[in-house]
Amino acid sequence: MAGFEYRQALEIRDAFARHDVRYLFIGKSGAILLGYPDTTQDADLFPERSPGNGRALVAALRDLAFSLTEGEAAEIERGKDFVQIRSGPFDVDLVFAPDGIERFTDAWARRVDVEGFPVCHPDDIIASKTAANRVKDRESLPRLRAFRDYWIARQKA
Amino acid sequence: MEATKTPLAIPSDWLADFEAASRRPLLLRLRYAFIHTHKPGLDDGGFRAFDTLADYRAWCERQLPAWLGYGRV
Repeated sequence: MAGFEYRQALEIRDAFARHDVRYLFIGKSGAILLGYPDTTQDADLFPERSPGNGRALVAALRDLAFSLTEGEAAEIERGKDFVQIRSGPFDVDLVFAPDGIERFTDAWARRVDVEGFPVCHPDDIIASKTAANRVKDRESLPRLRAFRDYWIARQKA
Repeated sequence: MEATKTPLAIPSDWLADFEAASRRPLLLRLRYAFIHTHKPGLDDGGFRAFDTLADYRAWCERQLPAWLGYGRV
């Protein structure tokens, strides 16, 4: 599996736009889009859970050359809380119900646009990692909180 | 009265990283950020779907080595 690349990020953005998929980048990949200097290997996407959005999401993923069986497509369309795909052109996690975020519409209202990429606000990324409370989240949160402060200060400048 | 700026309480090495990243175009930020390293257990399956995030977290704790950091604190 090759690493996720800028070209693939553009392809996600464009394919999801063509199919009118409502989604946000979340997790470390979202923070990286905002300018957070760190490393990761997969794209974490927070799609809105609705039948129409699920169908659009499957169509967009197939456009991106993800080979999904009918059963897999149905699980995405149903909006299972967490879907992890390691068999496509790049690694992607679909997080329909991230920890620490009540509703997609709340996060959508707070989203940040980065060159056409819809990204969760740093506060939502931090809220989800805080609620997940995994070892790796505990380790990364102090630096991520510092970045949030830096990012907010830059927005105000 | 003129408002005084409160300096950010950010360690200087982190601040230098943030400043350097902010000067890079998005293409370069992504090139530096996305690095594939094989994660045993996690990367060995093709497609996984979990009814709840709690199910996924429990699966991670059962299936993945602790050093990957996916266990809850």
